[in-house]
Amino acid sequence: MNPQALNAQLIETLSMVMVITSVAAVEIRRLRLAAVAYSAQALLIVGLLLSFAAVNPSLYWWAGTAFLTKAVLTPWFLFRFIGKTQERELPPLIGFAPSVMVAAVLMIGFYRLTHSQIALLAPTEMAQQEVFRTNLAVASTVFALGLYCVLTRRDAIKTVIGLCLLENGVHLSLVSLAPELPETALFGVATEVVVTVFLLLYVIAGVRQEFGTTDTLALKELQW
Amino acid sequence: MSEQIVTVTSSLPAAAFLVPLVGGALVFLGRALQRAFWQGTALLASGITFLIGLRMSGQVLGGAVLTTWGNELRVDALSALMVVVIGGGGFLATLYSVRYVTQPGLLTRAGAETTARRMPTFYGLVLWFLATMVWGCVTNNIVMLYVAVEATTLTSGLLVAFYWDRRALEAGYKYLMLLTIGITFALLGCVLLYASAAATGQIDGGKALLISEVRHVAHLIPAGTALLIVAFLVIGFGTKAGIAPFHPWLPDAHAEAPTPVSVLLSGVMIKMAMYALARTVSIFYPSWPQLTVFAVALGTFTMVLGIVMALTQDDLKRLLAYSSVSQMGYVLVGLGLGTYLGCYGGLFHLLNHAIYKALLFMCVGAVIYATGIRKVSELGGLARSMPVTSACFFVGALAIAGFPPLNGFMSKLTVYLALAKAGLWWACAIAIGASVLTMVVLVRAAYSVFWGSPHGAALAQLQVREVPVVMWVPMVFLAAACVVLGIFPQAPFPLLDKAAAVLATMGR
Repeated sequence: MNPQALNAQLIETLSMVMVITSVAAVEIRRLRLAAVAYSAQALLIVGLLLSFAAVNPSLYWWAGTAFLTKAVLTPWFLFRFIGKTQERELPPLIGFAPSVMVAAVLMIGFYRLTHSQIALLAPTEMAQQEVFRTNLAVASTVFALGLYCVLTRRDAIKTVIGLCLLENGVHLSLVSLAPELPETALFGVATEVVVTVFLLLYVIAGVRQEFGTTDTLALKELQW
Repeated sequence: MSEQIVTVTSSLPAAAFLVPLVGGALVFLGRALQRAFWQGTALLASGITFLIGLRMSGQVLGGAVLTTWGNELRVDALSALMVVVIGGGGFLATLYSVRYVTQPGLLTRAGAETTARRMPTFYGLVLWFLATMVWGCVTNNIVMLYVAVEATTLTSGLLVAFYWDRRALEAGYKYLMLLTIGITFALLGCVLLYASAAATGQIDGGKALLISEVRHVAHLIPAGTALLIVAFLVIGFGTKAGIAPFHPWLPDAHAEAPTPVSVLLSGVMIKMAMYALARTVSIFYPSWPQLTVFAVALGTFTMVLGIVMALTQDDLKRLLAYSSVSQMGYVLVGLGLGTYLGCYGGLFHLLNHAIYKALLFMCVGAVIYATGIRKVSELGGLARSMPVTSACFFVGALAIAGFPPLNGFMSKLTVYLALAKAGLWWACAIAIGASVLTMVVLVRAAYSVFWGSPHGAALAQLQVREVPVVMWVPMVFLAAACVVLGIFPQAPFPLLDKAAAVLATMGR
């Protein structure tokens, strides 16, 4: 595997835009637009996987699976579910400006972490070199943004988008952490996220019907 | 100390999970057929899985380790034990469900027609649920272990929300969301483990996926990375096993699911998650013994939190669910010690808890079947009209409280002894304290529900009868198992001994 074959500038550009679309997916209040932002993010991930494929041919296969599951099926489920009835989400627990600051802090934090403590996080020697370190930083940022979205967004659909971001972050990190992971494992991992999203949306449709809203704060039937 | 292990290629490990998988597919395909077909297929498939588990145990006791597909699937004593628990639990839960689901309002809120329409989905998902659990216990591939554990969440997600009312839907949403996030940590842990093992240079890439190979190089993984791996795995598989503080999904899911599903969740699934945790984390014990103290601390925290929360519960199913959290703490403490005695105690407790928790949930389900009520404050005096259920519940309550000569006493005693031998007296004291609390909670519930006089007006107006035979047969069988295993704790020794030896990396 020859890391020199990678187009570092392309990768860094794609990574930066991907973080921006992730923040957009978390922040945009209109759910259809948030889903569009998520779709854009998914496509960028596919682009990143393809850029890394120069050193690891099995990533071509991985990019194809990711395209199908993240950029086609998941947005399709999201759009089908959001439908015509859902326009804006309810106000989240943390507003826009603090959220952007949180995103910036996360990104800077992870960047510094992966550039100083890399031996801790990435076991292989290749992973400790430049472009892979940035990849890990970006993947961790997206993971953290997804988790942040799940924790602070009231609307159940937004939490599903947050979950998708979280998973995307983890899958992207696999590029650095486990470049030799066989295709069967990657296929299993990718399929599960799509099924999870489908099931979650199916249950949330039931919630919408029974509770009349997708506000997670309304889910108070089960307390202690 | 190492025995001669004979690796035998066998198709049984694959058959163990393919049988319920195919069975589930048949149920889905036959949705236009009758209830007899769906339930019959479910019984047959789960029964065969149980028998395969027994057969594999027999072969493993002879000193063999079964592999399929070139070490992709690998069944040793520990895996065989788990398949027996999953198959047995699955069969008994299915048998119990045969009449349970026909009672109006127990499977779905809507009428008989909707219930009949949705029933094949129920049995199909139950069979696929069993299949994914068995797969998780027979696979030797680290990443496939993650895939299997996540698959158990996916197949049981709709089962948890099956009732489709407000509470069930809320429970289903939380279940899917919390468990998926939790298990993602396990993915990170599994992938890091694979990558670190491959990076040691001692084994090649393909082999680094196999848990049996990674064991040998665990000591070469750098300390920081190992710590990170263990942390991720504990968060990931621990969430699934109901370890505090990752347990909040458990009381909701186990309480709102239909009772046969509660039996499977509390009686089988959390054990399978604990298996995954033990399998992966125990390889690090020899190099980092401090991990055992951490595991014991986490386990005692879980024990106490679970039973304290159970103290305040009025809803019988939630009470039992919280007690499951507490009992999983015992298993974690035992397995976390890493010594032979600790692992033996932990595994014995795992087996015992599967038996009496399934029994207790079945009894509560019987009460719901007969009265429609599940709150302790609204029940009372049922012993006269439901003698079999009440006797079974008492046996279960005494067993979980740790009364001799029932099985719970034996496994808890083993865990206490293991803790004492390891010098962790504080943990031993906490464990005994939690056991006393368990006794208070469960025996008080038993007394309140079955003895005394009826508390609620609604109950006094009901004509309460004992449940049908096909429902109390599994209950009586499990109660008998509690008694037999208590009087003859040496009965499961051969299998438990070998299973404990697999995990006991810290010596005796």
